Amino acid sequence: MTRIVEPALSALRQQLLRMGSLAEAILEKSLQSLWRRDVALAREVRIDDLEIDRLDIAVDEMVLRILATQAPVADDLRNVIAGKMIATDLERVGDLARNIAKSAERLATRDKVEVPPGLRTLADEAQRILRRALDAFSEHDADRATAVLGDDDQVDADEDAVIRTAIEEIASHPEFTSQEVDFILIAKNLERVADHSTNIAEDVILATKARNVKHAGKLAAGT
Amino acid sequence: MQFLTKISAQGLNVFYAEKQALFDVYLDIPKHQVTALIGPSGCGKSTFLRCVNRMNDVIESCRVEGKLALDGDDLYAEGIDVVALRARVGMVFQKPNPFPKSVYENVAYGPRIHGLANTRAELDEIVIQSLERAGLFAEVKDRLHDSGTSLSGGQQQRLCIARAIAVSPEVILMDEPCSALDPIATARIEELIGVLRESFTIVIVTHSMQQAARVSQTTGFFHLGRVIEVGDTPQIFTDPRETKTRDYITGRFG
Repeated sequence: MTRIVEPALSALRQQLLRMGSLAEAILEKSLQSLWRRDVALAREVRIDDLEIDRLDIAVDEMVLRILATQAPVADDLRNVIAGKMIATDLERVGDLARNIAKSAERLATRDKVEVPPGLRTLADEAQRILRRALDAFSEHDADRATAVLGDDDQVDADEDAVIRTAIEEIASHPEFTSQEVDFILIAKNLERVADHSTNIAEDVILATKARNVKHAGKLAAGT
Repeated sequence: MQFLTKISAQGLNVFYAEKQALFDVYLDIPKHQVTALIGPSGCGKSTFLRCVNRMNDVIESCRVEGKLALDGDDLYAEGIDVVALRARVGMVFQKPNPFPKSVYENVAYGPRIHGLANTRAELDEIVIQSLERAGLFAEVKDRLHDSGTSLSGGQQQRLCIARAIAVSPEVILMDEPCSALDPIATARIEELIGVLRESFTIVIVTHSMQQAARVSQTTGFFHLGRVIEVGDTPQIFTDPRETKTRDYITGRFG
């Protein structure tokens, strides 16, 4: 016989996996709309994001019910709490993709400025981190989650590089300021995607190993 | 979602001599669901349960007014065959109470007196099936002729459940069925309740709020002989409408 709490936990997990693949897909779509200067595609992102929002609300409801009716303990409890946090991060990824799509839409309607190569690298890196964090979640794999944690630094460096280049471009070509500002915004949004992916990896470690590794670097450094 | 009603109380009043135990109770028990009745001691939840298979008949001073119906038929109408009723509405008690007979005989007793089996082979089949459905067969298959009282507490309670379901009832009433059991045996009974509801309508009285929350789909809260609130279990435990319900389930009184 299955434990009484099992169906609810597995339903929550399924919902989170659905949210995860949707978040990946919507991020990919927002970037495609940017690379291809495709306004119609950018507009689809807005609609897709609503579905993530709906799933987020459904997860809230499920978590509330599980806590109220199943009183989960130990790893069950950690899975529920981590699940709630992961849903919040995925919902934010949806919002960030929406922001990227907004920038893409603006860029597509203005004079064409080549996308800085650093932005493509940053986008690849952010997508890769998100995928790895979601893999760690779906495989319940603390080792994979731990491997995700270090990757964030590269993203921060890439973001800085894109912003520096954009500032230089603004100085030399002030007529393209608004385009360069959008590149900066997109870089910021991608860096945030990586941050939320890191949070997801941290939640996987909490769920699987009962270890809270949040803010570990900052807290150890004391600044 | 709309559920069919199995048991319906409409304006039920119950008295023990001069003392009124239930006041104007309206309560619908949905079919093929687990309905949990909660409330502080003496609130009337067990009295309600005992009305459903007319266990209160044995208490001489007990008087029942109002309507209590099973599939629409008034259980307190004249001419109701109480023995037949108790075959339709089985009961499992707080303390496991197997007969001082073998495991086999405990389960065979009901089908035998109700004439449900014509041959020994048929009876064997009912006994084995009932033990299987109660999740006990694997543990007792080599001990069918040992005394029922030689089993562990949790096994005895599952034996009582097997005994109850052996006569193919429609409803199983459970009066604090886990209060004498350890957490493992409790978990097994709770899992079993979840499976049994596919075949039966279950009403469980429990003092454990968490048990009510875990096993039931509908929860009714009784207080001082009245039904204060009935609702979907997740609603009752996340957003009770009545202050009294909230105060009880959060431990503010009780």
